[in-house]
Amino acid sequence: MYFYLPVALTSINIFIPVGIGLAVGLLLGLFGVGGGFLITPLLIMFGIPSTVAAATGLNQIVGASTSGTYAHWRVGNVDFKMGFHLLSGGFIGGLFGVHAIKILRAMGNADFAIKMTYVLMLGIVGTYMFIESIQSMRKKKVEKVEEVKPERKSGISGFLKSLPLQTYYEKSGVTHSALVPIILGVFVGILAAIMGVGGGFLMVPVMIYMLRIPMHVMVGTSLFQILFICIEVTFLQAYINHTVDFILSVLLLLGSTIGAQIGVVFNRRLKTEQLKILLASIVLAVTVKIILELTLTPSLLLSQAGGHG
Amino acid sequence: MRKFKIQNVKCKIIVFLIFAILILNLTFLDKASAELTVDVQPNHIGIGFFYHGGKVNVSGITSPDTDIIMTITSPEGYQTLKRKGKVGGLFWMNTGTLNFEKVSSLYILTSTKKIKDILSKEEINKYLIGYEALENHIDISPVSNEQEKMKWWLEFVKFHEASKLYEISHGRITLKQGTAGIPAGGEGVKAKQTYCISSNWPYQAVPDTYTVTVYATRDGKIVEKAEKNVFVEQVGIIKFLANMAKDKGALYGIISIVVALSVGFSVGMIFRKGGAH
Repeated sequence: MYFYLPVALTSINIFIPVGIGLAVGLLLGLFGVGGGFLITPLLIMFGIPSTVAAATGLNQIVGASTSGTYAHWRVGNVDFKMGFHLLSGGFIGGLFGVHAIKILRAMGNADFAIKMTYVLMLGIVGTYMFIESIQSMRKKKVEKVEEVKPERKSGISGFLKSLPLQTYYEKSGVTHSALVPIILGVFVGILAAIMGVGGGFLMVPVMIYMLRIPMHVMVGTSLFQILFICIEVTFLQAYINHTVDFILSVLLLLGSTIGAQIGVVFNRRLKTEQLKILLASIVLAVTVKIILELTLTPSLLLSQAGGHG
Repeated sequence: MRKFKIQNVKCKIIVFLIFAILILNLTFLDKASAELTVDVQPNHIGIGFFYHGGKVNVSGITSPDTDIIMTITSPEGYQTLKRKGKVGGLFWMNTGTLNFEKVSSLYILTSTKKIKDILSKEEINKYLIGYEALENHIDISPVSNEQEKMKWWLEFVKFHEASKLYEISHGRITLKQGTAGIPAGGEGVKAKQTYCISSNWPYQAVPDTYTVTVYATRDGKIVEKAEKNVFVEQVGIIKFLANMAKDKGALYGIISIVVALSVGFSVGMIFRKGGAH
């Protein structure tokens, strides 16, 4: 069955957006990552103009993250204090990012610089997570009863402890300077504005490893933050660029909200190490995909102007 | 002397009258010989909720011994597209934009035989038949030379062919000798032909007024031409949503967000009631 999309000006088989929504919703519920990195290229692949794909993708993330945040909030997995700090940084970062992109574009090959940074960051984060998860899984098998070693004080954690405005985040059970989530939020906001992605993909691993927040709480909190960022950007896209396709968004929502719920169920049933290794595999797969896109000769040398891609 | 002058004036009038009659005759003869007709069904396409393109049937009558070329085109305009290039000899990136001027967003061409076999080069260029003729007609900027222009024009065609908006084919036109009501040729008289083309209408074609042009060719020349328009417009809920997105962006954005929030929240509630946890 085909539906016509009034803003994308194209027709699509109903199973395509519902399927994409389901997959992205699953990721959202499992890891708290927005899926912007996945949904935009997938929609473009199925003939949706890139600008409409990016804006509509964000609107469906609003729905899926509402569903996911609600489910996580019910089981006490949302650290609101941390969420608000991330959010305040995110809004500042979003504004800064819009100007940064102008400067980068004026400087020349901005797309190239952004993509290379993305590949490097994802590659490093993915590889580190993958190795670390395998190591910790092996350790658990061999030395199940071994006493927990006192946490190593790395340079980074020492620096984090020395920052002012140390705050105790009850839900996460950690103490950090309030500046840390705010700055992290700024960073993610910049990325969201420049690359058209939610940034959860980078934020989640950083928060697990740098801020030592339990995986389950991190996912709920990340979803909460993504929800508000996506509401802001969806509104701006609809108001300024007229690129949100209502019908496409509803079809994606059908899949993603259900996917998010299933993801939350799995998130509760899987062990942290298993979740980490799954997320690491997806991060690495996305890195490989970007590298291939960069190096293989594309079949078409022209694309629609005005969007990411 | 005077008589001679009068005779001279009479002679001039007669020559003028003969000339005028000849011109009038030629004009009427030309009209009388106009045999090419075109009918397009449907000529109005409404884009509704379940729209997925369709078929357009083009048919008509043409003189005997003629070949047929049909084009479907949109009004000419300009398009800005991103171009990809190699950076540092290794990475494929967007390296800027290209402006294509005097281009159609839709170009479908079909003919009874290969264009080169039924039309001379001069006629091809005069009537802009086929990609090569269009290349000479359009403008691309910025390009530094003709070779570069040709390269990006071919890429432009490839890009539009991928979304079925550009297509060239031949041999898909049904030609039949003699039609009902038209006497099948007697001795030495050939019957008129009917032609029929069934063309796929791509769903990617945006709302616009498209022109279906049929050319009758003989001995490498276009001898007749007939045109009809096809109107494509959004209808019903599609029209309502498209207009709202364009004219009331803020309200449209708020509705989209509210719907997303309610769907998300409702699904969350349903799963809770369903006892997912």
